[in-house]
Amino acid sequence: MSATETTTESALVRRLLIAAALLFLLFFLLLPLLSVFAEALPAARDGLTVGAHALGNGAVGTASRMVAAGFAEAGGRYWAAIADPDAHAAMRLTLLTAAIAVPLNLVFGLAASWAITKFDFPGKGFLVTLIDLPLSVSPVVGGLIFILLFGANGWIGPWLAAHDIQIAFAVPGIVIATTFITFPFVARELIPVMAEQGRDDEEAAVALGASGWQCFWHVTLPNVRWGLLYGVLLCTARAMGEFGAVSVISGHIRGETDTMPLEVEILYNEYNFAAAFAVASLLALLALVTLFIKSVLEWRYGTQGGGH
Amino acid sequence: MTAISVEGVSRRFGRFPALDGIDLEVRSGEFLALLGPSGSGKTTLLRILAGLDFADGGTVRFDREDVSRLPIARRQVGFVFQHYALFRHMTVADNVGFGLSVRPRRERPAKAEIARRVEELLGLVQLSDLGGRYPAQLSGGQRQRVALARALAVEPRILLLDEPFGALDAKVRKDLRRWLRELHDRVGLTSIFVTHDQEEAIELADRVVVVNKGRIEQVATPDDLYADPASAFVHDFVGESNQLPVTVKGGRLLYEGRALPLDVQEVTDGSANLFFRPHAIRRVDAKDGLAATVSHLRPNGGLLRVEADLPGRAVPLELDLPEGGLALGDTLAVLPTRYRLFPAETAA
Repeated sequence: MSATETTTESALVRRLLIAAALLFLLFFLLLPLLSVFAEALPAARDGLTVGAHALGNGAVGTASRMVAAGFAEAGGRYWAAIADPDAHAAMRLTLLTAAIAVPLNLVFGLAASWAITKFDFPGKGFLVTLIDLPLSVSPVVGGLIFILLFGANGWIGPWLAAHDIQIAFAVPGIVIATTFITFPFVARELIPVMAEQGRDDEEAAVALGASGWQCFWHVTLPNVRWGLLYGVLLCTARAMGEFGAVSVISGHIRGETDTMPLEVEILYNEYNFAAAFAVASLLALLALVTLFIKSVLEWRYGTQGGGH
Repeated sequence: MTAISVEGVSRRFGRFPALDGIDLEVRSGEFLALLGPSGSGKTTLLRILAGLDFADGGTVRFDREDVSRLPIARRQVGFVFQHYALFRHMTVADNVGFGLSVRPRRERPAKAEIARRVEELLGLVQLSDLGGRYPAQLSGGQRQRVALARALAVEPRILLLDEPFGALDAKVRKDLRRWLRELHDRVGLTSIFVTHDQEEAIELADRVVVVNKGRIEQVATPDDLYADPASAFVHDFVGESNQLPVTVKGGRLLYEGRALPLDVQEVTDGSANLFFRPHAIRRVDAKDGLAATVSHLRPNGGLLRVEADLPGRAVPLELDLPEGGLALGDTLAVLPTRYRLFPAETAA
């Protein structure tokens, strides 16, 4: 799209705005992200610094050797941090949590947006507000809600204890809290897409004799597939990264109820910075992969004529 | 033969009565227009006929069978939407074949049979080469023809079209209109379409149902509708009209206290509205008619369209007169040659 004379600012203002935006991104997004990866490999950084000095003194051979040694050592520490059994347990738990929470929210989100956009029923406005609740409430409160429900002194805690069911401070609690926090992501993506498409397509399908299921499977779902995928990605990213609510309900039992974000915090509090940043870099990597897939999807969105 | 009969159908949305006691008979093979302004209830009526919406009261019968409570899937109707509602992720051929391919396994035709049927329908709507395209790659007129082929694929008993030309530009609209009329004459399917465009209704339909405020004002052939409007609303809505508030008193017609030499013997006394078409007039001497000042002139298909201001009225008279001899600011006097009087309180 080319800006016309009437809608564009002067060249100076334009450059200033772009520079401001880029600087902001650099300081608040790019530098922190890079520093996570850099901190994950402190030895490599040292190697690079020393190597640079050596290079300054004209000792190319020494410099390259020192950089290589630095990287080797850093790589070793990095892998040691990641190979730690507790870290492994945290990764497994994080993936397990996401593997349960995301499909659940996929189904809930689809059902909720389908109901909200295709039907009229009393209490619709209330439902829409309710969907936003996890976004507007602090995640810590989200965690506390479930302690209040499932904790030893909670509403149904005693009953659970009597039946030997552990939810708070155990894996089920973590999954439930994560599901709660990530609930809006799929629905929030789908509602605008579905609302924009209206009910015509569904009515056309039903008029042609399609059953409810056929209508959903052959018409509704393909119409929202990119939006749905996008929502699932955001939901996955958040499910793996959620800290607040999970922190409250997990109980922090290492190797058992620690997810990756919690593990990062514990390592950090133990002054084990290299290990903390190693695990953090994995989380950041997951985020980057998610963003990458999202960009690919958006690119496809754009090229598919009316494809969303 | 009656294909559809509607008896006492009403529908409310909250407290708003969208339809109020609709009675209608549709003949088999007929091409019927539901004409009305937006919000008149015409689309609601169409959706109730389709089974996309349900009446609060009254019955809908297809070939004497009561279908009032049947959902759309079991009414065997073809429905065409204003915005096509084509499935955007399917090819044109898959769109047309959709109705056949979602049938239960034992009623579903074989793949080859579906393909043959799709081919045939695409031929019917003159889109044979475009089966492999996606809807986004078609023009508006082509999309609406695909939608029509898709609706016909399930061999419906009746065809319902909701503002089928509403999203098209004027030229395409006119072509598609003529084409649809031809298609209807060839296929012979009982068809009902909704429109707010009186020209469209008059050009296309065998009969026109004029709907206003949830009620039927008149059901008539296009000719009768124009020549013999049953209400002030129809006179105003279909074709062009001049409208004047008059009083009838003792067999005399009074406008602004002055008697006009028009015959009102059969009309009961009281306030009324005088309606007449722009062309149904003759010029008379100033003392015998409606004296007005020419305020605007423009050519109108061989005639001259004259807008003339009556003293004290904001809306000018619209008159069709032979060209020549008139200039802005001239005064002229006219009398309607054909006119209708409707009681004032029912005026639109």
